[in-house]
Amino acid sequence: MSFFVKGILLEQKKEPMLTRSTLVMRQEFEYFDCDFEETPVEELSAEQIIEIARLAEIVDECDGKMLWEKLEKSNLGEGGTLIVDAIDDEPYISSQMSICIHQPEKLSLGIELCEKVLSPKKTYIAMYRHILDSNFGIPGKIGKYKVHKIGGRYPAESRVYRHIPKGKNSVIVGACAMLHLARAAEESRKMTSCFITVAGDVVKNPRNVEVPVGTTVEKILELCGLSEEPETIVVGGSMTGRAIFEPENETVSATTRGVIALARSYGTYSYTCIGCGRCDHACPKALSVCSLRKFAEAGKFDMLHQYDIDMCMGCGACSYVCPARIDVAASLIKAKKQIELAKKEGTL
Amino acid sequence: MKEKLMFQNAPHVRQSESVVTMMADVVLALLPIYLMGVFYYGTRAIFLGICGVISCLALSAIGSLLLREKAVFDLTPIITGLIIPLLLPANIPYYVVFSACAVAILVVKFPFGGTGNNLFNPAAVGFASAAICWPEKVFSYPATMQNLEIFGEVTAKTAQSPAYSLSLGAVPDYNVLDMLLGSAPGPMGATNILVVAACGIFLIVKKAANWITPAFFLAQYSVLCLLFPRIGGSAFDALCYELFSGMIIFGAFFMLTEPVTSPKRDFGKILAGISSAIVVFLFRYFGKFEMGFASALIVMNVFSPIFDSLCENVLHVYRHKDSIIASFRKKSSEEKAEPEIPEESLPEETLSEDENPEETEEETEASEKAEELSGEEAAV
Repeated sequence: MSFFVKGILLEQKKEPMLTRSTLVMRQEFEYFDCDFEETPVEELSAEQIIEIARLAEIVDECDGKMLWEKLEKSNLGEGGTLIVDAIDDEPYISSQMSICIHQPEKLSLGIELCEKVLSPKKTYIAMYRHILDSNFGIPGKIGKYKVHKIGGRYPAESRVYRHIPKGKNSVIVGACAMLHLARAAEESRKMTSCFITVAGDVVKNPRNVEVPVGTTVEKILELCGLSEEPETIVVGGSMTGRAIFEPENETVSATTRGVIALARSYGTYSYTCIGCGRCDHACPKALSVCSLRKFAEAGKFDMLHQYDIDMCMGCGACSYVCPARIDVAASLIKAKKQIELAKKEGTL
Repeated sequence: MKEKLMFQNAPHVRQSESVVTMMADVVLALLPIYLMGVFYYGTRAIFLGICGVISCLALSAIGSLLLREKAVFDLTPIITGLIIPLLLPANIPYYVVFSACAVAILVVKFPFGGTGNNLFNPAAVGFASAAICWPEKVFSYPATMQNLEIFGEVTAKTAQSPAYSLSLGAVPDYNVLDMLLGSAPGPMGATNILVVAACGIFLIVKKAANWITPAFFLAQYSVLCLLFPRIGGSAFDALCYELFSGMIIFGAFFMLTEPVTSPKRDFGKILAGISSAIVVFLFRYFGKFEMGFASALIVMNVFSPIFDSLCENVLHVYRHKDSIIASFRKKSSEEKAEPEIPEESLPEETLSEDENPEETEEETEASEKAEELSGEEAAV
C-alpha cells in the first residue's frame, strides 16, 4: 500500500487552539416549538428525533446536507456502521476535535440520539492523530463511544473506512451536527451558530470560536485580534480553502471550518517543473500528477481521462510538495471541471 | 486590510524547499570536490570551474533570449558548468570546456525548451561531445600532486589512468587506498572517491537527490563486476578497481540522480538504476572508450519516459483493482451459475435463469433470518 500511496506529512499546529476551550461570541438564541417539548430526551422516538433535527434546521458540516434528510434517507440495514467525523487532518483546523475534547457529554448525547434513529451495529468517532503530535492526548473513549485514531499522512479521510467490516453500509455525520442535535433535543434550540477555527501566523489569540452563521470574516478576525496586516485571508481549510479579498463582505456558513490569516502569500509560481516526481509520490490516489499537469496545460482531454483524472480529490498534496511552487492542484481541478462540463455538453 | 490582500491558489501552506534550495545543495556538494582538485592540481582547477560556470551562464542567457522567455535564475546552468570540468582532466584547454558547455546548453537544453525539458543529461552530452572531438586531450590525464600552469600551454607529466589499464585487461599500478584518496590519475573530480561519496551522501540526506537510483545502480554494477571480472587476482580487489576507476561513483551520485532525465516513481528509479548499471557495464566491457559512463547515461535517458509509462500502467491496474476484482468475480460466478449453456441460446433463457438463483438466495437468507429470530426468541 505505502509503496504506491504516500500522502504528505504536515505540521499540524493545533495545540494553541485545542488546549483552550471554545470562545463563544455573544448572540441571541432562537428556539422552535413542537408538541413533544416536555418528553424527556431518553424517551424520544426515532420519528421525533428526525422532527427535532428538521425543526432545528441542523446542517451537517461534512457535506452541507440537512441532517434530518440524511437520517431519514440513510438505511443502514443489518450491522451498519455510524461514523462521527472529527477528523480535522488539515493544519490549524481543529473545530471538530475541540468539541470532542471540551464538550464530550453533549457530543455523546447527540450520538446516542442519532444511534436511536439509525440503529447501527457499531459506532465510532474518527479523529486524526499526527505522528509528531504524540504529546497531545486524544481520549480513547468519549462517553461510551470508541475513538478510532486515524494515523498516517495528510489526506486521512479516505482511511476512515478501514474499520468498517466488508460489505456493510456506513453513514458519516459531523461532530458539530451531533452537538447541535443534542442542544436541540435538550433545549429546543435552533442551529444558529457554527464552530470555526481562527488561526494563522498573524492571529494574536488563535482559538476555536462559536459564532452565529452569517458573521463576517472581519468581525471574526477582530474577535481574535491581528498582530499585523495579513497578506492572505483564507476561508475554509488551509489545504483546500479559498483566499478572499473582501473580509467585510465575506460571511461564514454552517460548513465553514476555519478562518486563517497568513502574513505572506506564496503568490504565483516562478520556476519551471524539473520533473522531480515529488507530486507523484505525494498523491494519495496514486495518480501520475506530473504527467496529468502537462496534459492539462496542453488541453489533452482524452489523455487526462486515460490517466484517471476523475479520481483526483483535490487535496492539494501535490501543490504542497512542489519545489517549483507550481499550482498543480489548481490546474488539475480546473481541468477536471472542464472535462465534466464537456461530458455534460456531450462534446467528449 | 483590504489593500494588501493577495490571491493564491488552494494549498495555503507550502513546503519551504524550492528548486533553488535543492540546486544550492548540489552546488554546495560540488565545492569540496573542487577543493580536492586544487589540492592535487593547483589553482587551475578553480579556473576551470569558473570558466565552465561563466560560459554556461552566458550561454543560457543567450538561450533564453532566443526563446524569448523571461529568464529565470534557477542555478541549473551553474551545476552543469560545475560538473563538466570535473569530468575532464585538469590540463584540459579552456576552449574544450567552453565547447562542452556550449553543446550542453545550446544543443541539449534550449532547443527542447530550457530547464526541465531536456531529453538528455546536459553534462553527459557535453562531455561526450568533447570526448569525440578531442579524444587525445580528454583521455590523457596528468599525474597528481603537480601544480599546473593556470594560463598558456600546460606542460604536465601524464600518466595512465586505472580505467585505461582495466580496459587493456591489466591490473592498475595504484592500490585501492590511493584510489579512495584520489591520488590516481583520472578526471579532475571523479577520482577522490571518499570526498565524492561523502558529498553524494550529503545530497541524499538533504533530499536534493534520491537514494534509490544510485543504490540500485551501484549494487547491480558490483554484482556484474563480481560475475565477470576483467582482471585476475582477488574478486574484492577487482571489484574495488572497477568501482573506483572512471566516473562510476561521481556519476552515480551527481549525474544519474538528475531529476529532469530520470524516472519519477520509485519503481521506475529501481528499473533505471539496474538497467543503467547493465548498460554502463556493457559499454566498459566491450567499448573502446574507457569512459563508458557518459555514453551509457545518454542511452539510458531515452528510456526514462518508458519506465514512467510502465509505472503508470501498473498503477492504472492498481487504481482500478476494486472494479477489476468485482468484474472478475461476477464473471466467475456467472460461469459457475451457467456452465453448460451454449452461446447461441443466451438471450432470453439466461435472463430467467439469472433471476432464479437470486430468488433462491433471498429465500434462503429469509429462512436463515427466521431461524435466527426464532433462536433469539427461544433464548429470551
